[in-house]
Amino acid sequence: MDAFHGLLSGFALAVTPVNLLFCLIGSVLGTAIGVLPGLGPAATISLLLPLSYALGNPVTSIIMLAGIYYGAMYGGSTTSVLLNIPGEAASVVTCIDGYKMAKQGRAGAALGMAAIGSFVAGTAGVVGLTFVAPPLSAFAVKFGPAEYFSLTILGLLLATYLSGKSVVKGILMALLGLLLAMVGRDPVTGNERYTFGLFILEDGFDFLTLGMGIFGIGEIFISLEEQVKAELVTTRITGLWPTVRDWAISRWAIVRGSLVGFFVGLLPGGGAVIASLLSYAVEKRVSKHPERFGEGALEGVAGPESANNAAASASFIPMLTLGIPGNPAIAMIFAALLIQGVTPGPFLLKDHPDLFWAVIASMYIGNVMLLVLNLPLVGLWVQMLKVPYAILAPSIVLICAIGVYSMKNNIDDVVMMVLFGIVGYVLRKLQFDLGPILLAFVLGRILERSLRQALLISRGDLSIFVTKPISAALLGIAAAMILGTICVSLYRYLAARRPAKA
Amino acid sequence: MKRFERVAAGTLLVIGAGSAYLAIEMGFGAVRVPGPGFLPFWLAASLAATAAVYLVLRLGPDPAARPLWDPGTWRRPALAAVVMLSFTLLMGGIGFFAATFLLYLGWLILIERARWLTVGAVSVLGTLGAYLLFVVLLKVPLPKGLLF
Repeated sequence: MDAFHGLLSGFALAVTPVNLLFCLIGSVLGTAIGVLPGLGPAATISLLLPLSYALGNPVTSIIMLAGIYYGAMYGGSTTSVLLNIPGEAASVVTCIDGYKMAKQGRAGAALGMAAIGSFVAGTAGVVGLTFVAPPLSAFAVKFGPAEYFSLTILGLLLATYLSGKSVVKGILMALLGLLLAMVGRDPVTGNERYTFGLFILEDGFDFLTLGMGIFGIGEIFISLEEQVKAELVTTRITGLWPTVRDWAISRWAIVRGSLVGFFVGLLPGGGAVIASLLSYAVEKRVSKHPERFGEGALEGVAGPESANNAAASASFIPMLTLGIPGNPAIAMIFAALLIQGVTPGPFLLKDHPDLFWAVIASMYIGNVMLLVLNLPLVGLWVQMLKVPYAILAPSIVLICAIGVYSMKNNIDDVVMMVLFGIVGYVLRKLQFDLGPILLAFVLGRILERSLRQALLISRGDLSIFVTKPISAALLGIAAAMILGTICVSLYRYLAARRPAKA
Repeated sequence: MKRFERVAAGTLLVIGAGSAYLAIEMGFGAVRVPGPGFLPFWLAASLAATAAVYLVLRLGPDPAARPLWDPGTWRRPALAAVVMLSFTLLMGGIGFFAATFLLYLGWLILIERARWLTVGAVSVLGTLGAYLLFVVLLKVPLPKGLLF
């Protein structure tokens, strides 16, 4: 089945009333959590994992969860523009010019262009996904255990390099996540590992418990600490539809943002946050008047908002084709597929073409829904910002607790979730990025399986990882990255020690 | 900040070293036939080594030293942790309904210091709403105890 026919069959499934309804639910929820500060897409998807399991149908549940992820990218701009607080991390940079525009009475133009840029880039990202994913899937079928091991290593390395400011801290978090994945029974021998005789640890940590703990509960602790007194721009929002001048200013920013977002989204650890930051830097650099940035430049809103949506669409590619989730929210969707008995990876397109194409088709539909939801209903989202966090926070705790409890009907899992939340909070205070923990936790099991299979095939010959061309190339890139970092660090260290010339 | 980062690095170093020791106890095996402790050992050893590097990088004076928490900012998260842990422990004993009511009550009184009218209204409505949604509508088998 080629991409065109696959997409047609996907649309046939995506437009059934149930799937349309859950696409709408996902988009609305995504916009809502994007609007509300303090609850990100990863946490929300983790909250709804039990519900997605209860739905029973993997197509419907993944359509809803995907809608939450890309919907959050739309919603985040509303809070950034009107409140100067990012609704979610990928909209941080939108605050800079978006809020300035709102203060100047141009909130409508900022929100309108953010929504239209998001729609154009989100749809462009899905077009890319439609045509890049199938050939990549076909190529990835050739991957054996050695290639998977090397790919996982490279993916983890990229995630640690791109996710935070400190590579060493990123590596520490990735190693901690991998070690957490080792807890429980050994998949080959059945021996217990790091269980300390505790029954609760025999099956290892649950992905949901860890994810809800460090993201859901951890975010609540941070929000409680930061009592931000923000000023909501309450002037009537008009002029949402861009003028000809707005179009002229923003069209290339949207195109550049879409391209930057798409390519960054493909990388593990890349995701929407880096895409939006990079897009802002690009726009400022190419602008003839960079001094306007920070003072209410429309390109400073259009570019990053386009980039984060394109990245959100593109980040489905490595997950659907290689089985490698690139960021925490996608890792949650990865977990949802596993819960439903579907293994994401090169065989997904062959084994579950209905799911593969229906999810992609639903993303086209979801982007249209989001454009409609975000332009005329902006007033409704503004009202949501008035819900006090005092009511929201205990309700989120309750949903997290019920979500984790309902997986195994075990109170100990809920206690574990709160403990992970405390650990996540302390790590955040120490400025550790938590994305690599979750990614490494998911990839840990793939890493161990592929390592052991590769060593079994090669009868313990480690050269299998460098004699297979694809594996060697992947490890070569990883080695080059490590060497490059060491060289740059050494150069900076020596430069700092060199006495300044008089 | 460096002082706290040194503590974090030291903690991770101890976790790494301890986990590596436990991994050897589990059975390292051989490259040809890896045992249950094979990969855990290498991961734990790498964690310990990276933590040691991080510790060395964080040595030395810290000209921009500042506390991890600004005065008073730790109070609300600490109270929230106590309320959450109490809620989870109570849920098994007194059941979901009563524990949820106490969660809202504790949260709004201890953390938010809300007005009594708000405390009462949100606690009652929040608990009833959660019960209707999760127990009646979604039929989640939550612990029974006092009341329901």
